[in-house]
Amino acid sequence: MSSLTDRYVAATLRPVPPPRRQEIADELRASIADMVDGRTAAGQDAESAEREVLNELGDPERLAARYSDRTLQLIGPRYFLIWWRVLRLLVTYIPAVAGVVAGVAKATVGGEPGGAIGVGVSVAIQTAVQIAFWVTLCFAVLERTDVSLGLPEWTVDRLPEETGDRQISQPDSWASVAFLLGTVGLLVGQHFRGWTAGDGSWLPVLDPALWSFWLPALIVVLLATVGLEVAKYRARRWTWPLVAVNALLNLAFAAPVLWLLSTDRLLNPELVERFAWLREGGVDDVTRIVAVATVVIAVWDIVDSAVKARRAAR
Amino acid sequence: MMYDVTKVCATQYCVGMASDDVLRIHLQELRRGTVVVASLVALRHPDYGYALLQRLTDHGFPVDANTLYPLLRRLEEQGLLTSEWNTEESRPRKFYRTSDEGESVLRLLLADLAAVQRSLAGLIEGVNR
Repeated sequence: MSSLTDRYVAATLRPVPPPRRQEIADELRASIADMVDGRTAAGQDAESAEREVLNELGDPERLAARYSDRTLQLIGPRYFLIWWRVLRLLVTYIPAVAGVVAGVAKATVGGEPGGAIGVGVSVAIQTAVQIAFWVTLCFAVLERTDVSLGLPEWTVDRLPEETGDRQISQPDSWASVAFLLGTVGLLVGQHFRGWTAGDGSWLPVLDPALWSFWLPALIVVLLATVGLEVAKYRARRWTWPLVAVNALLNLAFAAPVLWLLSTDRLLNPELVERFAWLREGGVDDVTRIVAVATVVIAVWDIVDSAVKARRAAR
Repeated sequence: MMYDVTKVCATQYCVGMASDDVLRIHLQELRRGTVVVASLVALRHPDYGYALLQRLTDHGFPVDANTLYPLLRRLEEQGLLTSEWNTEESRPRKFYRTSDEGESVLRLLLADLAAVQRSLAGLIEGVNR
């Protein structure tokens, strides 16, 4: 069996370019032998001295990197900030766009609105992972090839407009608007492509009779909430008038939903008739879950807005 | 470490482990560049890696073996050191010596070190006055 020193020297030389290997090997071997001799002369036994010396020299790959001046970081300080900016820029928008496009395609061309959200989310995640991988790979290669990007120096002209006093961020507002419009889309979409009935036809989930007044009313409330999001973004923070309007809109949405639930008018009676578990008490469970969720969301939203308004007023 | 942490850290804000760590980092930074200067000075008299390591340690320049050996190679590649294999003794060893170019670089480095020392002395005097 080869000695520890042989194995150590071999492990150190593996990443070193071949033309320099022999000389580094000879020198390293002599140095290790000198260090071992230094310890045995002080009375230590040869075997434990060798172990100690090699432990002191440390990870062979780290030593090899020092010999050949290689970096031990994926992306160093030179490229880190530009890598981070590029990644943030790309990962903010592209996965969202790809996810929405895939979801819409699934719902319309594919004719499966039920699977649209799942497909959208999975495409968005895959896109984000791909972008992160390829961008990072490009910068890791740059780091190793020592290429100068020739980027301009930073100057005060590149300072962002914002000074940090904005409580409502743009991505947050976009997410809220997308969620609200998505809910409107669901309310409309469930009427045409709701629950597949088994024989190829579709059943609306909500009672179609509600289209005479209540569903349009709820949609108007949701669109008004989009208006609130815009006003909030322009105000840069929660103000007490905004909190009041938000509370009113929450009530205007939750109260009708709760009332319709309590009078058993929300779900499509035909749908309830079709499914045995809905007929035999399932409706009550669904009613209870939806009612609790509606109340929790409304209360949470109102409390959250009040807390933020108070924080902003300080 | 030969420095007394309690003396360096006289203020009440400076307590326990954290100050020890901070001091260690700053001392490391302060010492980093001096290993090159010390090696170039010591190798005016030719020597091999391990012997140089011991000489530097004996003269108050403790340096890790895994730092010094690659450093010697790098200085050789930059032309500041020359090397020669000595095969007369029982074990062949690579002896390094400060080259002419290394000597002129060393003079500039030493002059700069002295300038730093002078500037610091002037600054200390100015603050105390």
